Amino acid sequence: MSGFPGDQMLAFALRRILQFIPTILAISLILFLLLNVLPGDAALVAAGAQDKGMDPRYLEEMKKLWGLDQPLHLRYLTYLKNLALGDMGLSYLRREKVSALIASRIWPTLKLAFVAMLIAAGIGIPLGFWSALRQGSWLDTVLMVGAVSGVSIPQFWLALLLMFLLAVKLPFFPAMGYGDGDLRHILLPAFTLGVGYMALLARTTRAAVVEILSADYIRTARAKGLPQLLIHGKHVLRNALILVSTTAGLQFGSLMGQTVIVEKVFSWPGLGSLMVDSIFQRDLPVTQGCILLIILVFLVVNLAVDLLYAVIDPRVEYQ
Amino acid sequence: MKEVMRKAGILAAGVLLWGIMAGEAAAQRSGGTFNFCAPYGGDLSTLDAHRSPAAQDLLVAMNIHRSLYSWDPQNNSPKLELGERVKASSDGFTYRISLRKDIKFHNGRKVKVDDVIWSYERIMSPRTASPSAPFVRVIKGARDYEEGRANKISGLQKLDDTTLEITMDRPLDPSYTLHDAGAAILPREEVEKKGDAFGLDPVGCGPFKFVKWVKGSEIVLGKNPDFYEKGKPYLDRLVYKIMPEGASRDIAFRAKELDATLVSATQYPVYKEDPRIAKNMVEVAELFTRLVGFNPKYGPFSKKQVRQAINYAIDSRLIIQKLLKGKAFPCVGYLPSTSPAFDPRAKGYEFNPEKAKALMKEAGYQKGFSFECIGTSNESWGVVVVEAIMPFLKRINVTVKPQQLEGAALADRIRRMDFQAFIWSLSSGAGGDPLQALNRWHSKNPSTAGNFVGYRNPEFDRLLEIAGRERDLNTRLRILRQADALFREDAPVWFFNYNKAVVAHQPWVHGIKPVAVEIMYQDIADVWVDESSPRAREK
Amino acid sequence: MKEALKKIRRQKNLMVGGVIALLIVGVAIFAPWLAPFHPIDDADLMHAEEPPSWTHLFGTDNQGRDILSRVIYGARVSLSVGLVCQGLNSIIGIMLGLTAGFIGKRWDDSVMALTNIMLSIPSLVFALAIMAVLGPGLLNIFLAVGLTNWAYSCRVTRSQVLFSRSLDYVQAARALGYSQARIMFSQILPNIVGPILVVATLGVAGAILIEASLSFLGLGAQPPTPSWGGMLSTAREQLFTAPWISIFPGLAIFVTVLGLNLLGDGLRDILDPHTTRQRR
Repeated sequence: MSGFPGDQMLAFALRRILQFIPTILAISLILFLLLNVLPGDAALVAAGAQDKGMDPRYLEEMKKLWGLDQPLHLRYLTYLKNLALGDMGLSYLRREKVSALIASRIWPTLKLAFVAMLIAAGIGIPLGFWSALRQGSWLDTVLMVGAVSGVSIPQFWLALLLMFLLAVKLPFFPAMGYGDGDLRHILLPAFTLGVGYMALLARTTRAAVVEILSADYIRTARAKGLPQLLIHGKHVLRNALILVSTTAGLQFGSLMGQTVIVEKVFSWPGLGSLMVDSIFQRDLPVTQGCILLIILVFLVVNLAVDLLYAVIDPRVEYQ
Repeated sequence: MKEVMRKAGILAAGVLLWGIMAGEAAAQRSGGTFNFCAPYGGDLSTLDAHRSPAAQDLLVAMNIHRSLYSWDPQNNSPKLELGERVKASSDGFTYRISLRKDIKFHNGRKVKVDDVIWSYERIMSPRTASPSAPFVRVIKGARDYEEGRANKISGLQKLDDTTLEITMDRPLDPSYTLHDAGAAILPREEVEKKGDAFGLDPVGCGPFKFVKWVKGSEIVLGKNPDFYEKGKPYLDRLVYKIMPEGASRDIAFRAKELDATLVSATQYPVYKEDPRIAKNMVEVAELFTRLVGFNPKYGPFSKKQVRQAINYAIDSRLIIQKLLKGKAFPCVGYLPSTSPAFDPRAKGYEFNPEKAKALMKEAGYQKGFSFECIGTSNESWGVVVVEAIMPFLKRINVTVKPQQLEGAALADRIRRMDFQAFIWSLSSGAGGDPLQALNRWHSKNPSTAGNFVGYRNPEFDRLLEIAGRERDLNTRLRILRQADALFREDAPVWFFNYNKAVVAHQPWVHGIKPVAVEIMYQDIADVWVDESSPRAREK
Repeated sequence: MKEALKKIRRQKNLMVGGVIALLIVGVAIFAPWLAPFHPIDDADLMHAEEPPSWTHLFGTDNQGRDILSRVIYGARVSLSVGLVCQGLNSIIGIMLGLTAGFIGKRWDDSVMALTNIMLSIPSLVFALAIMAVLGPGLLNIFLAVGLTNWAYSCRVTRSQVLFSRSLDYVQAARALGYSQARIMFSQILPNIVGPILVVATLGVAGAILIEASLSFLGLGAQPPTPSWGGMLSTAREQLFTAPWISIFPGLAIFVTVLGLNLLGDGLRDILDPHTTRQRR
């Protein structure tokens, strides 16, 4: 490996970002097909959403406005062209630009996902680590049962339970809403969102640590008499994180999916609740845009995790 | 002695003056921030009053904009708002309105008759596709303008900058339709400059100016210092928090984060039992009738006995009491109790399952039948109610299958009469004019315009036509009562309830009124908060 | 010692998970005999929203129906969704994996690309997108959820195909003229049963969760059909006045999914200890 490692990493990142493009293209095609081969006339849907009678002139106007009078492949190409410029079309319901709508709602979702990740990693990884060290003990069993439960619990149920216990019975937190974006408002939804991911990380970490602890070079280190802390810190933790991060990125996808539910329950004004609302209102351009954005966020996080992986493990080759 | 008398006099005068000032202090206080709720959805669609019929949008828009007339909740009727006086012609077709001279848009410009004409023309323009068009269509020449046969509305005559003459296409007082918040007077230059973005950054002539809109979260309005009603609005800031969930509104209200809230059925009994809250609740019988409409083209529903049987078979009072927690008024007929033509002595369909069975037998449907009922997920007049009537209908061997649809999809199917039965909440007020309300069911009125059950009864039509020609108010109301009774007897629908709308407010809030057209249509210009509000000094 | 302890704990996974799964299946099958009331017809408004009592062990809901009975019948909906959808997913996955492995080249590349893309889309989001097109209803849920989780089955099958094709005796068999189909049946299918079963078990759990989420949002089984997610959806309004309406259906989902996850974990430890961990 020649050259400054930073350059290598940058090239790697750029290459990965370029790989986004075919993925996004493919996904946009799938979404476009899905959402535009609706039974029934899309213009009628759009008109219906505006609560207007079946005035044929109005319908023609609507068709032109959304380019619905074009054949499907032309519409897709126009859509792509606009997408490249960041224009995701107009909402059916309110003649607003979808990109503007999404821009105004994306920040709460990003905040929520970020805090949820922090909670999940901050609690999940140490717990998994600890559990592996105490392998076989009752603590280990308790924690792992807890982890399976965390993966199994329905998020909306957990949300309702937490809301009931911590916001109504004992008024520690505000039950819903964004507030001023302060900590008190974000904790409950972020925790609910993060629980599943936390459990996954705990399990993965534990498995990784267990595997490493039984590896030869650890035994060697112990035999050499190196202090436990050093062994754990340097070798075990780092190698464990490497193993964990191979799947952590993928598992994050489920977290992004769950934002939809958590945002709805907690009245969190983010992308997820926008998406659900748009589905009920049959506002397809908005639905399309939201899904694309959610996937984009997921891909970016995956990239970040991969870069982190590369940082931790200097043996990685940047291909 | 004189000295003492003089001193006493001054003292008395001082006490009197102080008493008057203290009395003044108990009256309206200026200042403060008011947190209200926008409870009808996940967000607003637009603040352009011409572009939306939704209550969620108009309840905010009505405080930014003003229409020519407005709704007076005290008298349950419309009143002149932007005008100083109106003179009606003897035949009831022409109305001369003198505009107030002190109305200004938020951009500083004075409001003139040109603005009224432009606003109404914008509403009628097919390019705007405004849902407020029905309100303006009653003006002579509006239809011609809409269909491109004229380039202005002939019934709108500008006599001078502040005098307008409106000619209607029928002898109807324009106040009945032009009071709607959707018929607001907008500034042309702002709308043309901003185009579609006007809905995101509106300019009006109302008591509050637009400040900001945090999407999905809240809308902030600020006091209009140049509002034409001196001293009003009292509040410095008005915030609408978007909260469609009754449970979250409940929590926010109890935590004093909301100054006033729309009470949902679940909270209603709880609030009523709480002495601190119960005395600060405003209740009103809203001008909405909830019903299940039957499609007469569907076999069994073509028989009157079947429809009546269904009315007798269901215990609406129990459903209202248990499912809706008492937050509705049992239905007597189509016109709600706050309508002037409501007959307080009329009897509705009482719960009588035996009579229901007999009627079914008479109609030849003893074996029963099944039908599908479409509705929304609304917890007061949606599919939950259909679930509640299932056991009652089972007893007369009728099976009902609920189908949940989303709002716009439901509206579409109802207008096209693509249903066997539907459950919905219909606006039965029509600006306080019972004739307009009952006109919905006139046989000439198509389903796309509101006659969702295709009601055709020549006697009913005749009564409405006579009432329309009748100038004496009492006789008119009497005839309309007869028409309402006829409708009731025909039972083209299952009469469920009239909504009991309830707004609860904090003890420091004053000025919330019982608005029968829609309780959330509160004119916040009249609202003020006293010192005990935590936001009394917030700007 | 540690090894022994580990084995025992894993046995426990299998045991506990298996018992729970069997229990739920039993409840679903024997629902009419187990439920004390009819889940739809026994609605008595006079006794709406009553807390748990001896007559109604789980209380009554807002229409006066017995919650215990509705939870019992709800198992039918959840289980059928879980099994049918995962069945669909597995079939799609296996078909794609087999064809990818056998035909190879462009088709294989396309399938792999598609698999990667599917893994980039969170399953709930994908299911929501399909529901957006189809509209609400149980039938549509079968379709939507049945299309979201075939990626792992596909990968597993394909790996097994490629592995088998490289084996000597398989190549010999090909040379002797044995048909592809025969090789497939005798070599490939027996070897994928284990991993597929693991994926499927965990997949059923996932499908049940997604269905519950979709029903919670109002897109699932239409009222008055009892479904766990749907019951939670209508219970939100009464969360603070009648919390028992929310607790028991949610508990049912939790226990079922937990049992299936434990079962899946246990199966994996026995049948397929080398696979990377399945994501939720």
